[in-house]
Amino acid sequence: MTEAPHTGELALDIRGLTRRFREVTAVDDVTLTIPRGEVFGLVGPDGAGKSSLIRMLATVLAPTSGDALVFGRSVVKEAHAVKPRIGYMSQAFSLYGDLTVRENLDFFAELRGVPRREMAARAERLLEFSGLTEFQKRQAQFLSGGMKQKLALAATLISEPDMLFLDEPTTGVDPVSRREFWRIIAGLHRQGITVFVATPYMDEADRCNEIAFMAQGRIILRDTPTGMKKRVPGRVVEIAVSDYRAAMPVLKRLSYVRSIEVSGEMLRTLVDCEDDGACEGEMRALLSSSGLVVEHVRPTATDLEMAFATLIPSVDLPERDDRAAGPEVPE
Amino acid sequence: MRRILAIARKEFLHIIRDKRTLIAVLAMPLLQLFLFAYAVSFDVKDIPTAVLDQDHSVASRQYVNTLQQSNYFKITQNLGAMSQVDGVFSRSEDVAVVVLPPGFGDAITAGRPGPVQVLIDGAEPNSAQLGQAYATGLSRVYGFKVATDQADAKGVNLAGGGLSALTRVWYNPEGSSSAFLVPGLIVLLLTITTVQQTANTLVREKEQGTYEQLVVSPIKRIELMVGKVLPWAGIAALQVVVISGIGLVVFQVPFRGSVVLFALSSVLFVLCALGLGLVVSARASSIETANQLAMMISFLPAFMLSGFVFPLTSIPPVLQFVSYLFPARYFVVITRTIFLKGGGFDVLWPQIAALAVYAVVMLVLSSLLYRERA
Repeated sequence: MTEAPHTGELALDIRGLTRRFREVTAVDDVTLTIPRGEVFGLVGPDGAGKSSLIRMLATVLAPTSGDALVFGRSVVKEAHAVKPRIGYMSQAFSLYGDLTVRENLDFFAELRGVPRREMAARAERLLEFSGLTEFQKRQAQFLSGGMKQKLALAATLISEPDMLFLDEPTTGVDPVSRREFWRIIAGLHRQGITVFVATPYMDEADRCNEIAFMAQGRIILRDTPTGMKKRVPGRVVEIAVSDYRAAMPVLKRLSYVRSIEVSGEMLRTLVDCEDDGACEGEMRALLSSSGLVVEHVRPTATDLEMAFATLIPSVDLPERDDRAAGPEVPE
Repeated sequence: MRRILAIARKEFLHIIRDKRTLIAVLAMPLLQLFLFAYAVSFDVKDIPTAVLDQDHSVASRQYVNTLQQSNYFKITQNLGAMSQVDGVFSRSEDVAVVVLPPGFGDAITAGRPGPVQVLIDGAEPNSAQLGQAYATGLSRVYGFKVATDQADAKGVNLAGGGLSALTRVWYNPEGSSSAFLVPGLIVLLLTITTVQQTANTLVREKEQGTYEQLVVSPIKRIELMVGKVLPWAGIAALQVVVISGIGLVVFQVPFRGSVVLFALSSVLFVLCALGLGLVVSARASSIETANQLAMMISFLPAFMLSGFVFPLTSIPPVLQFVSYLFPARYFVVITRTIFLKGGGFDVLWPQIAALAVYAVVMLVLSSLLYRERA
């Protein structure tokens, strides 16, 4: 296996990584490279293999075949060299509930060999940074969900890793804490830390430099959020109407309406027509004539949710052993 | 070293913050100590006894008196005929019947051995065995006394040429069962608490998801194992001190050997037991499995295969072989030898060496079996 000359600039170089659990192939021959300093998002439905992929990269799960280089070191053969440079946050809370916030931080600092004289300063800075200073004497099990996640992140950061693997870090966390959490990640990004994060939330994926969509153990698509949205064939029109349930069958009759999604009390339709307002006019007229009160019909930006909803069915999920008809994975 | 201490400190915090664990390791052993020491008693006293004196001589009455005066037999009734014996046993009125046949007195007077028949209800073999032993002993004592009396009367000095077979029980002359049990109980109680607790420890990390954080950390498996074992070794040491103390003070168990040797071998044994628990923990799939496995490999061998209750020579050869696989048998020999016989390193070195090897093997084995990556 020859190393690419620019390997030094890659944070992550995944080569044909595969993991099978008995009959199930959780991660199926994933090849992916991620430059240093990027916030890389991994999205996909439950059971797509996101956690297994992350766990292999974090040296927690052994690959069945393939390898991955983290800063040029193999997770299979040189796990000892990979570990000191990475931090990993699993999906479930993975700290000691009966230890206090501070004890948890100190424990992981000792375990990961943080120099003694730096320990206190680092712990205090991280507590400050995650807003946990006043809770430092509280047992971790009595923290709220959002605080637990921030503590877990702080514990992963105590050894100042160059690469962070985060597996759905904000699942089950309130919106305010989620925003807070991403503010912290943005800060880490500015410090040059590479972040590899799996998330089920499209608004979170939108904050990443690049995203990959994973399904059935494979990376189906990889692009920037903007690039993903650009791939959507057609544009999105948002419709606010008195009874959106009644409006749906009416809109479906139009040939250029490719899909309709309910978003709150509004409808978002993907339409295949010119951006000249003609379609909007026709939709408004049709809804009004059906006895519905139309509040507005206006073009709106595509979001990732829409992008994946429309792109994923159109990207043929590859046959298991048919590599020639493989997925479109743009570099 | 720093990582080992970090793990040890963390484990210690887990222990002192969990009331159930604290009760399990501090209060339970004491409760068990008293339960075992009082309930499991092999001392047989006041065996209910019936007497069938068919001789009605001075000698026979003297013999019955000797029985009566010992604390071992309690004569509850005098039977009139041999035919009553069956009834006595079947109604469980008495456990032993002493029969003095006609001609007992004449035989004694003639200087021949007096035939005494002791019938024992075998339904409770342990008491039966002891009762038999006591009766034989008493008969011999009585016989010796008679012989001495006669010799005195005849002006013969028996001390010179007379034959006498005397059984003497060394180390535990009263045959007191607490002296026999307490040193063994130390082994049993230590095994139960230590194996059980460490058997849980790695499985718990897995169930909590914290093991992944340990895996991501640059810690060697053996460091993890040693760190986890350290605080328990401290607690086990405390248990040894408390249980031995109670044994010495409350149960009046003698301590004749070296305190240092006892401390050293206790540490080795505790490491063995903890290592055994870790081996279970490294591979058990859940806390429940770990607990059951721990029970199987701790309590049962320590109770049945250690010589704690049943002499190891009287168990089947296969089980004797199995008993070598558990550390309890070595430590039971050590505790009894140190407490009761005052034996030192010169006699105990094979057992101590066995424990040392065992401890190292278990700790290494547990870290080999503990698979870091799923």
